[in-house]
Amino acid sequence: MIKLTKPLQTLILGIFVIYALTPVYLVILAAMRSEADLFSGPLTMPWPPNWQNFSRVWGDSGFSVFFMNSMKISASVTILVVLCAPPAGYAFAKMKFRGREPMFALFLAGLVVPAPSVIVALYGNLQTLGMIDSHIGVILPQAALLLPFSIFLMRTVMQDVPDELIEASTMDGATPFETFIRVVLPVVRPGIMSLILIVFLFSWQEYLLPLVVLQTETLKPITVGAASLQGRYGVDYGGIAAAGLIAFAPLVVLFLAMQRSFVRGLSAGAVK
Amino acid sequence: MNKFAIRAITIVSTVTAVQAETVVTQWDQFSQSGISAAGPAMDELILTCAPAIDGASILRTIAPSIGIRDSYRLAVSAGKTPDLAYTWPAASVLAGYARVGALAPLDGYYEQYGWDHINDFYRGRNSYEGSLYGVPMEQDLMGVYYNKTLFAEHGISLPTTYAEFQAAAETFKSAGIVPVSFGNRGRWPATNTFSLILGLTAGKAAEEAVLFGDTPWTNDAFKLAAENFQAWANDGYFPRGFNGVGYDEANALFLSGNAAMTITGTWVLQDMIRGATDIDLGVFMLPPMVDGIEAGTMWGEGSQWQLSASASSETQDAAAAYLNCLLGDEAKQIWVQKANTVVIGTTPEELSEWGADPVVQEFFTAGLSTTENNFYDLHTTLPESVTQVLYPELQLLIGGETTADEFLNKMQTSWELAIANGERWRP
Amino acid sequence: MTSRTAYFFLLPALILYSVFVVLPILQVVGYSFFDWDNGIIGQFVGLNNYSRLGSDGVFWAALGHNAIWVALTLAFPLMAGLLLSAILAERNSSTIRWMAAIYFIPRTIPLVVAGIIWGWIYNPLFGLLNFVLDSVGLGSLAGAWLAESNTALLSLNVVGAWTFFGFCVVIYLAAIQSIDPSLYEAAEIDGAKWWRKFRDITVPLLKNSTLFLGLYAAIEAMRFFDLIWVTTQGGPGYATEVLTTHVYKTFFLVGDFGYAAVLSVVLLAIVLSISSISFWILRSK
Repeated sequence: MIKLTKPLQTLILGIFVIYALTPVYLVILAAMRSEADLFSGPLTMPWPPNWQNFSRVWGDSGFSVFFMNSMKISASVTILVVLCAPPAGYAFAKMKFRGREPMFALFLAGLVVPAPSVIVALYGNLQTLGMIDSHIGVILPQAALLLPFSIFLMRTVMQDVPDELIEASTMDGATPFETFIRVVLPVVRPGIMSLILIVFLFSWQEYLLPLVVLQTETLKPITVGAASLQGRYGVDYGGIAAAGLIAFAPLVVLFLAMQRSFVRGLSAGAVK
Repeated sequence: MNKFAIRAITIVSTVTAVQAETVVTQWDQFSQSGISAAGPAMDELILTCAPAIDGASILRTIAPSIGIRDSYRLAVSAGKTPDLAYTWPAASVLAGYARVGALAPLDGYYEQYGWDHINDFYRGRNSYEGSLYGVPMEQDLMGVYYNKTLFAEHGISLPTTYAEFQAAAETFKSAGIVPVSFGNRGRWPATNTFSLILGLTAGKAAEEAVLFGDTPWTNDAFKLAAENFQAWANDGYFPRGFNGVGYDEANALFLSGNAAMTITGTWVLQDMIRGATDIDLGVFMLPPMVDGIEAGTMWGEGSQWQLSASASSETQDAAAAYLNCLLGDEAKQIWVQKANTVVIGTTPEELSEWGADPVVQEFFTAGLSTTENNFYDLHTTLPESVTQVLYPELQLLIGGETTADEFLNKMQTSWELAIANGERWRP
Repeated sequence: MTSRTAYFFLLPALILYSVFVVLPILQVVGYSFFDWDNGIIGQFVGLNNYSRLGSDGVFWAALGHNAIWVALTLAFPLMAGLLLSAILAERNSSTIRWMAAIYFIPRTIPLVVAGIIWGWIYNPLFGLLNFVLDSVGLGSLAGAWLAESNTALLSLNVVGAWTFFGFCVVIYLAAIQSIDPSLYEAAEIDGAKWWRKFRDITVPLLKNSTLFLGLYAAIEAMRFFDLIWVTTQGGPGYATEVLTTHVYKTFFLVGDFGYAAVLSVVLLAIVLSISSISFWILRSK
């Protein structure tokens, strides 16, 4: 029997905060230093903070372009998924039709697909479709790969919509589509908010697909740009750190801003 | 419609067709910014060479440094390759692409433009079954970058024998300075270091006996080389945990004055020169490690220009004219001055004349004085399947987890498999 | 509501998914039955390529590492998430939200960037980890974390756990919040302290969430690629080789599409089996 007293509990919480945030702190530190030397001791933040690394990396080599590309791709993927997944989730949750279970299993099977396995076949297909070296060649496959998780989440969320609500709407003469738009969607709004956040997050972090599909420098998103940092900047750790921060800071901000609905929606999906 | 009109239309459309611009698509890895940025030099050269290609234009795409080898493989499998690619490695991998018909033969252009400065060594590496399929451009050498100040402070003069090198390393070790900075997390740096040690222990002839002949890897000379490499690790020449340290981190360690030497190649000259703000940088050649072995160093071409077999003949002609310009005198100077890149055939005198950085001159003067004995870069010479065994096995060897015999046995096994699969390259 | 209506609702997702997910998978399965040369397809060879699996030492090592990775992920971040969420559940809602958000932040960092950062932390000479160990007098424990075969996989797993435990906290938190508080009240009247409540009430009632997270963790562990590829690429030696890195090298570096496809098929089969079994268990609850 462990006596897990309140102070001890707080200690545990604190340890994990350190675990979570120390690497983040290190990156901020390296980005703020004017001398790009990782190997000198002090772990204290220089004051005033040095923004040179950021401005250099942002303007330099089009890092701002990478950022915009990530925004464009992730936003497009999110929109596409939000158009496809909720209706599908609704169908699986509330409609009875032939082949429902096998079809759902088919979608779920997509959860397991590892990128390196399919990338070669996918590349060949994209080449045939003329989508190589274009954003659409990244957006469509990414959205497709995120569908299994999204549909699963949407189905779970939709299952909670009271049947009475739907029946009432049908009896009022609404078509299934109208019911979906006017009655169901408002009820599952938190779930959709979470979906948006998760999809955006996953899409922002995607590495292998854009690396392989996009060749023109000005099309690349931030993960690809960040990965080539070590080749491009070599020993410039200040630059790498600044670029890394640019790569994930927006996500952190977005997440912190939306964490209320995020927690609520995500949990709704998984608890059942 | 009368005959005159028809004829006019025909003439106009023919002329228009002839004047339709030839576009040569080019993939390369010269990055645009950051420390090793030869990208701007490449752009400048494209402009400089525009007159030479008579109206055609070059459409350039930069691949990230992790990407071009892998991107090219995807492109071949999808059936659509860029007209020109400056990619690597040559030898077996180039031969593989030639074998499946992805590359255009270049013998005609070699003759037309007289690229005689590309000697037999380089030509061999870029051929398949007697035909040339690649145009190597840069010369890459290996050497020992060293910290002149640290050497002076510890009273060490430039090693001219292997024994002197070892003594220097021991001195630094006792003084608490890392003798040779080395970061092998990426797995490829060890293959370069091993290539150098192999050439200086077993010699070029022994290498060729294995690579092109029937001698197995498990021979005494190779065993000695493997043991020498392992000894360096055991004797503490390298920083602690080198198998987990990145290549750039190791270079940073050297450039920050914490290590006396680092053994790598001319491909990081740009990085080294620009990063050597705190140290006084010099270069020397590693002496032969066994009596009777000639002085020499590892050399190769880094990358080579490949022409796609599916490019139209106009495109191919334009690409060849463009390459000819890139190898020409005017271009050579730009390469040296703007990108610290030395084109094959550049002489040490020219380097001095063009005001190349002293370290560049030092490096190439030393390296080019031993061309007769310079030896092979393993990981751009071996078949890829063998390279993928070499990478981890070397890590295990220098990590002290396998013996030289076990290492060589593993290499011989994968070597035999590759030969059986027809993957071996011979010049 | 007819089947046809349902299919209309499904159509956009179905098209997108079929073209960009199902099709490539089927193609890869097809690839495995052919001989390939440098990306160009050759003869049909049936199951020939599959026979190479037995003697492929790297494959078996990789498989073992995937298994270890799954086990480690189930042990550490999952359990940590459970504990943390149980502790958090009793705090005020503002604390809960902020802490959960902080724990989730690592998940928002692209693995590529995380790999670079943790590479610095693990640097044997000047990295933070060894530095901290030295300063608290535990310098003898300092090691070459990514360089030694017995610590490399574990070190990378710590990074993976770092990105995953926050996710577990969030999932568990929600589940805990739906537990009927009167259960806890009854236990307290009986004199149960925190740990007893945790063990006897919380943990059993969270079984479904645990199954869900466990399955998710297992699938992710089998698919794991980016982090390893950006740091050690399977090294030192074969210490961090996993199925995905082996697949990547075989496709891209060696260029042997046939065998790479075989490896992919095996990987897919394994994960599909795990998932099917787990889903069957989950659904029968």
